[in-house]
Amino acid sequence: MEEPMQVVDNLPDHLQSALSQGLLKRLPLTFLPFVNQQLHQWEYLFPNERQSVERLLLFVASLTPQQSSLLFRDVVQLEEKMGVSRWQFSTSEQTIRNSSELARSPYFQDWRRAVQAVFDQADQHALSTKAAGAASANRLVLLEIPQPLPLDAASAWKHWQGIGKPLKLELAPSAPRQSSLQFLLAGATSGGLLDAVRTRPEAAPADTWVVDAARSLTDAVLARDPSGAAAPKAILLSYQRLDLYRQAFSHEMNTMRKDLADADAVFDHLRKVDVTPWCPPEVAADPAVREFLRSLYLSGNGAVIYGNSFVEWAASEAFRRARPRFLAASFGVRSRPKPFTGVAVFDNPDQVNPTPSVDDLPGSAIDAQMLALYVWLAASRYDEYQRSTLCVCLAESIAQAYVVGPPECALLQETQPISLPRLRDELRNRIA
Amino acid sequence: MEKDLRVGGQSGSTSDGDFASPVEESRRAFLHAAGLLIAGLMLPQASADEPLRAAAGSGHKILVVIIGGVRRAETFSREGLENIPHLAGDLLPHALFYPYARNEGVTAHFNAISSILTGNWQRVDDWGKLAPTTPTLFEQFRKQQRVGASDTWVVASNKALTSLIGASSASDFGPSYGANVVFPKQLMLTAVVDALRGGRTANMADRAKVEAELESAMQGSNYEGLGWNVFDAAEKLDPRVQASLKSAIADFVHGGGPTSGDELTFFMTREIMRKFSPSVLTVAFSDVEVAHFGSYALHLSGIRTVDRLTYQLWQEVQANPAYRDKTTMVVLPEFGRDPDGSSTNGFFNHRANEESTRDAWMMALGAAVDKPQIVERPILHIDLCPTLASLLGCRPLESQGSLLKEFRA
Repeated sequence: MEEPMQVVDNLPDHLQSALSQGLLKRLPLTFLPFVNQQLHQWEYLFPNERQSVERLLLFVASLTPQQSSLLFRDVVQLEEKMGVSRWQFSTSEQTIRNSSELARSPYFQDWRRAVQAVFDQADQHALSTKAAGAASANRLVLLEIPQPLPLDAASAWKHWQGIGKPLKLELAPSAPRQSSLQFLLAGATSGGLLDAVRTRPEAAPADTWVVDAARSLTDAVLARDPSGAAAPKAILLSYQRLDLYRQAFSHEMNTMRKDLADADAVFDHLRKVDVTPWCPPEVAADPAVREFLRSLYLSGNGAVIYGNSFVEWAASEAFRRARPRFLAASFGVRSRPKPFTGVAVFDNPDQVNPTPSVDDLPGSAIDAQMLALYVWLAASRYDEYQRSTLCVCLAESIAQAYVVGPPECALLQETQPISLPRLRDELRNRIA
Repeated sequence: MEKDLRVGGQSGSTSDGDFASPVEESRRAFLHAAGLLIAGLMLPQASADEPLRAAAGSGHKILVVIIGGVRRAETFSREGLENIPHLAGDLLPHALFYPYARNEGVTAHFNAISSILTGNWQRVDDWGKLAPTTPTLFEQFRKQQRVGASDTWVVASNKALTSLIGASSASDFGPSYGANVVFPKQLMLTAVVDALRGGRTANMADRAKVEAELESAMQGSNYEGLGWNVFDAAEKLDPRVQASLKSAIADFVHGGGPTSGDELTFFMTREIMRKFSPSVLTVAFSDVEVAHFGSYALHLSGIRTVDRLTYQLWQEVQANPAYRDKTTMVVLPEFGRDPDGSSTNGFFNHRANEESTRDAWMMALGAAVDKPQIVERPILHIDLCPTLASLLGCRPLESQGSLLKEFRA
């Protein structure tokens, strides 16, 4: 078992001070991989994550040794039952081996509950000492299933099980080759939603995310604000603009043998390799976003394979880590698996098999229908999104949107088709 | 608020959820949809604790079809029935069906399958680095009935398995009584990688050359890399096996049908049935596991594929004289998948300690089925091994599972 990690340099003074007084020695063993990794990667954390670590550590620092022993009593007892001290358990970072050891223990679920209880106490402590202003702000989740994806109006929203309401759209073309979401975000000339969120007080890039299964949406946003690539005012992630990054990771993972030691070795390499040369400018400019993508690709869930999976998982992770006030995401088209080599979906299919790719439009639509719901469900797991968040999912091929939100939301009262400019104005009023 | 101290592994504890009540409505919906609320099909169950008659020397054959992780929502539910027309329409009316066959163990592939095959919940390495700790059905059968190495096989698509799935680490048992283990999908992956490394990717677009690539991957120095274990041969495949599998590859490549890993697994299984007629054969399909990459459409397609291939296996049982009228075929998923909205990303994964993940079903067809019936009593995956061992005439070993009394020897 390793010793608790040394204090990192670039932390806020109050946290630095608490750590230098031996704060980490009060933490149970199974907390150390997470906490050490977060402290070590401080510059790569989003503001919400930094606040979360600070809440936990400053709460523990505020306790007497007896109080902190009581706080961690259940976790420590479970660690003893699990035999953590006898494991080959890294305390400096979270590893696959750590995860595997924990998950195989019959006490795993008890341990998770005990950990959650500690974080809950830290949150309650923070709430009692600060006003929770950010949690009450209006938020918007805006999704698009774009035109080439065929949907059936009768069943398009079946997965949503009636939690919201369909809304008819008037989709008169507002500009040539501009998708509905492009119009809402960037406007025909100006006045798009991105302009509105940028002018909010205390707006930070991590408050606004645009996630794109292709590249046209991101290209359109960058074309409106060319300076945004070097100094992004929002986080822009495009599956296709990240081709180089993704393919480099995919190639490395493909060389991995199926055992834990080899997996940890490959993942260790991928955690350290300099990814900057593979990044488009809007990603290269922000260390936190570069590292977000690294962990996104390392955590699987199809993010290196399919554009729609990338959108869903990137959005889910954005909610978990950054709690953005506005997230826009567009789904897209994937290819059909190629004959014989379709089993090797983890590699670049065009490199493995020269047979031309064929778009799977119906299949992509089925994927997007389910994954759009998953994006909303991912947001709704967190307190910040449970009361004042509006979710609008556009389905271009059937000229409809599905709206989930607070009952007082004006869009939920609409009975007539609504034009895109009016929808944009409603949304802008809500989040500005 | 959710927290970030997360792990990526598998759930390992038992569920404390109420089993019956949450699924009551979907159960009824399913039964209505399947047209099974017919009094004649709801037969009285056999008396409790009645031992199964031994089948030693009877030539009873067992085919276990394991189909990866699928949720009830996409299979035996009102909405899911459209994905399983053969299971629900062609096979269910002849089946002994357990709507609630639960995985209470580790919901990862190696542990789930080895639990089914041993009758004990296994908690070994998820990546198949360690063998199950208690004897498999294959070992019990081979040791007690003194049958040869060609009589027990595992044919599996799943990449998470290794050849250690064929035998346990239990003293007095082990590999010398284990099953032959073949991974057809690994053969395809090896062929793809070999073609890529050798600059022959154009071959993968030409059926004749694909056949050559697959054969090349099966032979020579590549055999060890496939992770197979056939007749304990470490380096070269037995010539009889090679000939059989070449035939399966030719059928697969030139059949003109779909070309997924499960399709090749089916062709190899069928060929093994025709050439070796094993008494105990386990087939593990895994096309449904494309769900891990987040394509719901391809996951549903995988369910439809396994539905069709399972039916084709049953047709082979009916057509093959070595199997007809003396075979019990059992079909079951390894587990469900995580529920929509879970922090583990829903259908992508199968690691949540949730009803949706542990909930499965099981269908039995053939010789051990006296009359078709639906047994609503919840059963466990580990009940299958002692039941099948009993059908094969094996003396009972210590098992966490119980005999399923509805099976007829």
